[in-house]
Amino acid sequence: MEPRSDTVQEDFNYDPDRNYDEVIMAQQRIIEKEIAESQPLISNLLTFDEIVEEYSDEDSVYRHKIEDLKGRYKNMRKTRGDGNCFFRAFGFSFLEKLLQDADGYKSFVDVVHKSKDMLISLGFPQFTLEDFYDTFVDIVKQVECPGTVEKLLETFNDQGLSDYFVVYLRLLVSGHLQANEESYIHFIDGERTVRQFCSQEVEPMGRESDHIHIVALTKALQVPICVEYMDREGLACNAFNFNPSDATDEADPKPTVTLLYRPGHYDILYPL
Amino acid sequence: MALEQASLLLSRQLKELNKSSVDGFSAGLIDDDDLFKWEIVIYGPPETLYEGGMFKAHLIFPREYPHRPPKMKFVSEMWHPNIDQEGNVCISILHEPGDDKYGYEKAAERWLPVHTVETICISVISMLADPNDESPANVDAAKMWRENFEEFKKRVTRTVRKSIEEL
Repeated sequence: MEPRSDTVQEDFNYDPDRNYDEVIMAQQRIIEKEIAESQPLISNLLTFDEIVEEYSDEDSVYRHKIEDLKGRYKNMRKTRGDGNCFFRAFGFSFLEKLLQDADGYKSFVDVVHKSKDMLISLGFPQFTLEDFYDTFVDIVKQVECPGTVEKLLETFNDQGLSDYFVVYLRLLVSGHLQANEESYIHFIDGERTVRQFCSQEVEPMGRESDHIHIVALTKALQVPICVEYMDREGLACNAFNFNPSDATDEADPKPTVTLLYRPGHYDILYPL
Repeated sequence: MALEQASLLLSRQLKELNKSSVDGFSAGLIDDDDLFKWEIVIYGPPETLYEGGMFKAHLIFPREYPHRPPKMKFVSEMWHPNIDQEGNVCISILHEPGDDKYGYEKAAERWLPVHTVETICISVISMLADPNDESPANVDAAKMWRENFEEFKKRVTRTVRKSIEEL
């Protein structure tokens, strides 16, 4: 397609009456739409042979690391790169695990039930909080009725339900950080309060997750998470375990959820 | 399905607001068939220049609500540093994270999915009571507010009167 002459080929002249931010935001929406159309929120199970094709033959570091993963994991699922991938990957993978773990399910339901009043007591608006909570609980209940992986996959690929689930996980992390302010204040950059950090980096949709989000989610839900870091350093991926307990003399519990981190993005891993 | 969630949340808010009114504003739909377009009347907060005014505004929700913020635009004529000449309300909570076109300081709170019609209106009322002249959307109004408060007062009093006449 020929580029339109009025947008691309003309020399750029700054027009002070034009709102360039609006133009940039419109462009941003188009990019988001393209991503939404080409990537499901949570993919089907993929093999590493399908993943390795993303990297060229010359990219020996990444190809090596995928071989390394193949020795420990059997499959993965990709998630959409929309800034919510950590929460969505965790949410799906965790509920999928609970399908096989009735005790784990029961204790998770307890944690969830207690969370609503805790969040309201922290000052979240009750009206919307209850709305997110109700949808979250409905999704969690799919695990016991009895749930199937197919049904969960369908739910997590339904943008409305899936996003509501992510919103509530974000609120749980925000609540945990605020309720334990003194433990986290020193890990927050830019001279912000914990409350400010939460309203800028945790609660808004599409904000990417960092180390601190994972630590808080692990502790808020009492769920151990393992993240395999895949970057350009070294030859193997580095596994990092996030544990609900602070005790250092205990052996790491077996992670309930394992995620693959490639710079800026989280996907789900399935151990052998 | 995403649309269904948004409609559900908006219709529940409408019901709730009809049931028990909240001080400082009233809210309803512009057209009964469209949950995404609201008409709000903000009552000028007591003991401010805007006291006595009944300012009509439209609150337009995107399909992606509550993940993206609505836009608020006054239909009544307004004179305020944070309301532009077309009536658009420029407060930080109506801006998406990362959208920095009005150059707010980094600490300002942005749009969050937990916000409701009520929390938005409360923020707008507090904006009327307490303008933020560091990031004005109406530069002339901001300048007048700082440098010629008497004139500013007169302009606002005129809009207060006009808002009631036009209601």
